[in-house]
Parts: sequence; structure tokens; C-alpha cells
Amino acid sequence: MVDTDVPSGTMSEAEPVYGASRAVDSREVAARRWVADHGDILWKFAIARTKSRDIAEEIVQETVLAAMQGYQSFAGGSSERTWLLGIAAHKIADYFRRVRRAQSARLPAISPDATCVCATCRGMFNNKGMWACIAGKWPEVNQSEAEKIEQTKALLACIDALPPGQSEAVWLRDILGIPAGEVCKAMGLTDTNLWSRMHRARMAMRSCLETKFGLRKEKVQ
Amino acid sequence: MIRFVRDMVRVLCSPCRDHVALFSQQIDTPLSRGETFGLRLHILYCGGCRRFIEHLRHMQSLGQVLAQQAENQSGLPADVRSRIHARLAKATKKI
Repeated sequence: MVDTDVPSGTMSEAEPVYGASRAVDSREVAARRWVADHGDILWKFAIARTKSRDIAEEIVQETVLAAMQGYQSFAGGSSERTWLLGIAAHKIADYFRRVRRAQSARLPAISPDATCVCATCRGMFNNKGMWACIAGKWPEVNQSEAEKIEQTKALLACIDALPPGQSEAVWLRDILGIPAGEVCKAMGLTDTNLWSRMHRARMAMRSCLETKFGLRKEKVQ
Repeated sequence: MIRFVRDMVRVLCSPCRDHVALFSQQIDTPLSRGETFGLRLHILYCGGCRRFIEHLRHMQSLGQVLAQQAENQSGLPADVRSRIHARLAKATKKI
């Protein structure tokens, strides 16, 4: 541990130990500050996604620990809150991947024609790329409180049915309203990646909601 | 001006499959003026794309309701907060 290579006068022998402990201290201080400043939003995000206190607690803990370990890698391109939400989104996506892997044996095989998982949107357009059918009008959101609750439940179910990477992007971008540039930085995506991911997700959500609302499409004449 | 016309014509000549991608992209980033104008002209005569925009707006408003519901939930409970602090202290010792 004796740093013979260190030029004299720049750092004493005792300093590296002090420096390391100070770095750890500062990381812990930062982590405590994150819990104080952003704990609430992380918790709300995690509980809204997982609907479970235990899992939400695990996700918030893992997020803060991962942030503490990756503190040096935080480039400051996005706000601290978006950075932490991005880490939480990754953790939640991992959780849903594990859940799906465990459930995959029990889930029925998805038909390529199922509108709920229309990733390629084939079937919506004819071979010239024009609409094959016009979707029905959806019931108004502001009709009644019960309708609103039912529709938001349907939306949640549709978001949960998306691949984890897409559902986390939808949460950050469309639900939490984080600017696209910050979501790209938090999720490590390019602009184009985010646009195409969001487009696929929105198309799939739309098809899924159509199914949930029980609407029939009319053929274009 | 040339770019405006070129973008507008490109949009008007492309199929609806490409338009829906642009409508979605428009939520995340501003399009060029030519693209925006081309899309506006297109929806004047395309019922399918008009309905698609309605649905996008509908999903956005549902998203706002969801965000409000998430916001209305209580914050990080005190017991969870203290457990996180304890785990942080343990993790710091390990580092």
C-alpha cells in the first residue's frame, strides 16, 4: 500500500486511505440524499409498476445501491432524478423479465394475429402500406369516474403486456413525462432507438386497448 | 423553401404506415416544417390517420390519469426508508 510511485509532496502515505474512505463516505452521503430527495418518486414509480410493497422496496433499495456503485459513471447529462428513474426502470424491467420467464410455461402461445401484441403491425395495413381497416372510436375518458378507472386499468394491463424494455420506456416517457432526450440518456438509447421503441410500443398499446374496449374494425371501402 | 417542399411532398407520397411512425415521433421530437405541413394536409383526407391521432391523444390522456394516480400514492414509508438506510450503511462497510 506504500505508494512509492507517488511524487513526494503530492500525496502522503496516509492520504490514499483517507481519500478512499472519504469517497465511500461521500457516496453514502449522496445515497442518503437520493433517498431523501428522490425516494418518494422512486417508490411511487416502483409501486405503480409492481403493485407490491415488498417488490417496490427491493427495487428502490437495489436502485440506490446500483446508483451508489455507478456514481462515477453518472455523466450528469440527465438530471439526477431521471438517472435514478432510469436505473429503477432497468430494475423493474429485469423483475418483469424474471416473472415472464417463470410464467412462460403457463402462458398460452401468442398468435401472430393477436392484436394485443401487434409488434409488426401487419394486418393493420394492406400491402401498399395503407390502412386495411379503420379502427373504431374509443369511449370518452371523461365520461364517468368508473369509465376512467376501467380505462386506466386497461391501459396498465396493456403496458404490462409489452416487452419490458418498451414498457419502461413508455412509463418514463408517456406516463412520467420525462423529456425524450433525458430518457435516451437514462436508458442508454439513441434518439432513433427511442422513437422506434416508442412507436412499436404505442402501436401495440393501441391494438391492445382496441381488444380491451371490445371494438370492431370496419373495412375500408 | 426547397427543403420544406421536398419534406412535404415526401410525406404526402408516403403510405399511412410511414405516417403513423411520424405521428408517434412527433410526440417525442419536433418534425421539420415540411413534414408537419404534409401530415396536416394528409389528415384532411385520411380517416384512418385521423382516428389514429385520436387514439394517440386518448392514450396520452389516460397516461396523465395514470401519472396522477401514481402521484396520489403516499411517498416512501418510514419503515422502508429506515430499512434502506440500514442496508446502505451495510453496503458502505463492504465497499
